[in-house]
Amino acid sequence: MAGTGTGTGTGTGTGASASARAGGRRDSGGSGAGRAAALARLLHRDCSRLLELYKERETFLCEVTMSKERIVAPSASLGRLPADEQLRHLHSALQQCLGLLEDVIRREKEEFGTDGSSEYGRMQNTVKDRLGHLLGSTKLLLVAGDATATLTPAPEVTDGLEKGSSFGLKLWTYRVLQELIHWTLSASQTLHSLQSQREKEAPKAARRGRRGKGRMRK
Amino acid sequence: MRFLLLCALLLGLGAKNGDGQRGSQLPVPQKVTVNADLASQTLSITWENDFHSTVQLYDIKVLRTELMEVAYNETVEVRPDPTLGVHRWNWTSDTPLQCTSLSVQIRSRLGNQTSEWSPPEIIRGMDIPDKTKGQMLPQDKVVAVGTSMVFCCIVDEGKKFGAIKSNWSELASTMLSRRTYATVRINDSPSESSGTNVICFDDEKSMIDGAVVFVGYPPDIRDLVCETRDLVSVECHWVQGRDTHLVGPRRMFFKLNERDCLDANKPGVVEQKCQLNGTLDQGETKWTLRARNPLGHVELTDTADLKNRIRPLAPELSVEPEARKASLRWQWTAPWYNTLPLVCEVQLVCGGQLRTLNYTGKGLAQVLLEGLQPYEKYRVKVRCGAQQNFWKWGSWSSELRFSTKEDRPDPVDMWVYMTSELTGYILWKPLSKSQSHGLIQGYRVTLSSLTEEHPQELLPMGLEYSVPFSLDSLVGDHVATVTARNAAGVSPDATITIPRFQPDGGEALPGIFGTGGGFKLSWSPSNNASCGYVVTWNCTSGGQNCRLDWVKVPEGNTSATIESGSFKAGVRYNVSIYACTPGAPELLARSQGYVQELAPTATVTNLKADQRGSDILLYWDSVPLEGQRGIIRGYTVCLYNGSHFNLLDNITDPSIKNLTVTKLSYDTYKFLVKPYTSAGAGPGFTVSIRLEPVADMLIMEILIALGTVTALFIVVTIVCYRKREWVKRTFYPDIPEPKLPEWSPTQVFVSRTLDMKPCPSSSVRIVENPGRKLGKEELEVVLEDPEEAESLGNEPADTDSDELASLQYYNQVVGEPSGQAAHASESASSSSSSMGSTRTDITYTGIQTSSVADTSSCSSTAAPNQTVIQLSGGYQPQMNPVTSPTQPQDSSSDVALLEACRGYQPQASWRLDSTEEAGLDSLGSPTSVNSSQFLLPESSQEEERGHASSTTWFRTLLSGKP
Repeated sequence: MAGTGTGTGTGTGTGASASARAGGRRDSGGSGAGRAAALARLLHRDCSRLLELYKERETFLCEVTMSKERIVAPSASLGRLPADEQLRHLHSALQQCLGLLEDVIRREKEEFGTDGSSEYGRMQNTVKDRLGHLLGSTKLLLVAGDATATLTPAPEVTDGLEKGSSFGLKLWTYRVLQELIHWTLSASQTLHSLQSQREKEAPKAARRGRRGKGRMRK
Repeated sequence: MRFLLLCALLLGLGAKNGDGQRGSQLPVPQKVTVNADLASQTLSITWENDFHSTVQLYDIKVLRTELMEVAYNETVEVRPDPTLGVHRWNWTSDTPLQCTSLSVQIRSRLGNQTSEWSPPEIIRGMDIPDKTKGQMLPQDKVVAVGTSMVFCCIVDEGKKFGAIKSNWSELASTMLSRRTYATVRINDSPSESSGTNVICFDDEKSMIDGAVVFVGYPPDIRDLVCETRDLVSVECHWVQGRDTHLVGPRRMFFKLNERDCLDANKPGVVEQKCQLNGTLDQGETKWTLRARNPLGHVELTDTADLKNRIRPLAPELSVEPEARKASLRWQWTAPWYNTLPLVCEVQLVCGGQLRTLNYTGKGLAQVLLEGLQPYEKYRVKVRCGAQQNFWKWGSWSSELRFSTKEDRPDPVDMWVYMTSELTGYILWKPLSKSQSHGLIQGYRVTLSSLTEEHPQELLPMGLEYSVPFSLDSLVGDHVATVTARNAAGVSPDATITIPRFQPDGGEALPGIFGTGGGFKLSWSPSNNASCGYVVTWNCTSGGQNCRLDWVKVPEGNTSATIESGSFKAGVRYNVSIYACTPGAPELLARSQGYVQELAPTATVTNLKADQRGSDILLYWDSVPLEGQRGIIRGYTVCLYNGSHFNLLDNITDPSIKNLTVTKLSYDTYKFLVKPYTSAGAGPGFTVSIRLEPVADMLIMEILIALGTVTALFIVVTIVCYRKREWVKRTFYPDIPEPKLPEWSPTQVFVSRTLDMKPCPSSSVRIVENPGRKLGKEELEVVLEDPEEAESLGNEPADTDSDELASLQYYNQVVGEPSGQAAHASESASSSSSSMGSTRTDITYTGIQTSSVADTSSCSSTAAPNQTVIQLSGGYQPQMNPVTSPTQPQDSSSDVALLEACRGYQPQASWRLDSTEEAGLDSLGSPTSVNSSQFLLPESSQEEERGHASSTTWFRTLLSGKP
């Protein structure tokens, strides 16, 4: 997938042109997948740190075991889906995670006055910003992979605050942070495999592009 | 029959009593209703009673329904509502009402009489079987610091209670119902912004539920002040007191005159102000600020007429600077100030100097700043207040920076320093920033005289601010002029008439003492000082960077304190005072001194030590000026005693530079001389000298010693001569005459006398040396022990050795058996050769001269039978030595031997008891002499031998014989 650049010549024919454009997109998509994978890894570390900071504030979380139930549930097992489909699901999940995080940030600010003055507040904002960047990267990859692909809209997410209590918000925040860790790790792995896959496909696409050029000259 | 009557009576009484109670029974409260306020944990109980009843006391009982435990049971006095006739009573539970079901019952009480309990009214808790999910109560409670509160945990249906924990610690709990457990938590400190968690666990340590409690303080604000800034609104400020530790929805909310303070109520806002619309015409107005939070509320009020509460906003400044003034203008963001009488404060800062200027005026918006320094940087800011009914200064404007323009420099401060009659330097001080009024572009120095038409222009040397000059002659006055110039112009002339050269007085100048890092000077006024005085100073030690400096003293002052950063401790300065006259400056006084004395860094020079007889003269030269660092007050002279220097003398007069050290013995001395100032002693100079006796004295002493020895010898001689008898008696007693028994020729006389047996190694015998013609008889070692003889036989006998002085002497006995050793025959041969001769027939086979003690030690081994002298014709002492025919050897050898052994010759003075002279030769003398006394030879013999030894002479002296 990592574009070599050699197969992205500016062909004159329509077929060549389409191939070249596709190659160009794949090239950018390949490097984009690498960058997105790196960003996902970084974001995963940030989320882990954010959870650590949250546990430092809410020490009772060290004594409790939370439900393993996912807030953001995939419609299907990602491993069984093709790469582009995985990416689409991943993008959707990350989008929901961002919504959850923004909601948690807002609620915590209202309820507990949490702001960017504490390290936890700063890390919250960092994760939110990087998650937005990761979403942008994955969106580009989706467009690069299939221009006609439509993004799955984020489903309605219940906030889980049946009781509406502060304690419920704390538990919900904890679950959202765990969800972030899960999906950023998943994003890191998926994007890494996607990067590897596209790097393998890049030479074949380049050869196809050269053969197409030869036929055009004939 | 009787039994039936009794029963009927008892039934009748029983019926009567029963009717009586029922007849007076209090009415049971009716229509009992219970309403629960969960937030406040309060039960509101209402009931109705008989309208005609006078009962005012009611017993109220609250039971926990499930376990029928009494939660509350009190008698209360409740009066009915006058209009509705309903009784109402509230009970606040310390435990959340939902924790478990509660039953409420009421009965009327009139004294000791009570009615029946009303049917229980049940408030259903959250622990009923229908609600299977566990939970923790209460949620999000806000309590004040220091209060305690009850939490309850309702366990999930089917699970068992474990523990309630808060901040890692487990709280004690009590059972309220089958599924409900309660605990009390004391909130002794404010919680964090996210509250304090209380968690309930089941017996498997799984979390059931949790709750958050927020512990804080009620509102605490004070000092509400309302004023107007823009003249169209009211702005109220207050001071925040203790932090409530409550945030979010639990934070404080403010209302000013029942209007929400939108700015102050925003979450996270720390600004304590609230704004309302208002005008100056509304007169005296009251403003009420109300602050509330879940724990309480506070109200503050302020009443004032806004006309008296004007605090202007910050103006916006602009400035137009010139060289020494600037025009300052400002504008107001609120246009209504233009008609308001204002007082404005202008704060001007220049080089750290602050000037505050006040201006007033109606709608004041411009002032002129005067007295500014040219070419200077300024910072200015303005604030204003209402001139009438001044309330407070308004806000400061933002600071504005500006620089004034340049102006021509001030006159230069100059002086002339003469180095000789015709040469010198024109010096001036560089203009300071406040004097230069701009960037100095250069200085112009001219020298003019009345005789010259055009002044001579001198070129300054770099940045030294001085220029040398030389005069052609001393005729007439010469005037030096210095001017400075900058972009704005040239400074006024600074002139001085060249003074006459007056040389430095050197060491002879009077001394002055510095105080506080400078010199305090005073002098007599001079009539010629028409324009004051000038005090100059320059260092005379301290090396380079020593520039003449001066200060001008105004007229009328005759004292000055000169202080300079260039003053250095330990440096000598010459200070001169001049009178400023219309002509040349006139020198009034000159002195020298130190601003601070230090210990010398140099020592005396040329320290020398000379011997003057038995004294030592130390002398030295002065300490070099550079190393004095103070006025030398004297010298200390120390003498080295082998380990350290001891103070010998302290010379307090620094003009004395020598010292004579007396009363010294002849030895080597080391002296140390140190100069000292008032600050201490400097390094020392050492000199060593060896004090030796002079030659005349040596000769004199030798002569005296010789004379003393001679006199002593003469005295001893005289004493010995006078006491010679005693000496002789003591040291040389007479040898007693031997007493011989009658002599028998056949008697074999075994010599046992002189049994001073020599030590074996010192036995010698006299043998003839045939190899020498004129050889004398030699001494040969004779040992009694043959083995020893053998061992020694190989060794040559040292005849010259002193050991031979221990000789053995014994007589030989004749007629011993021939079985004697061959040694005896050898001796016999020599003896036989002397037979018949007139010589003493004695063979000196051993001569012992050892001491008495030695002889005694050796006598035990004497062997008289070893050597036997066979006498023929008896003993014949050595009176007349005759050469033996059988002994052809030169008799002189014997004589020589005797002479050599001129010690003992016992027979010389020996006398027979008989007077027969003839028998002397044949009779011989007794050879047994056993004496420890000295044996003196016969004096006549000594004379015959014609020479006298010192011993003989001494003996003669002692004996008194001539």
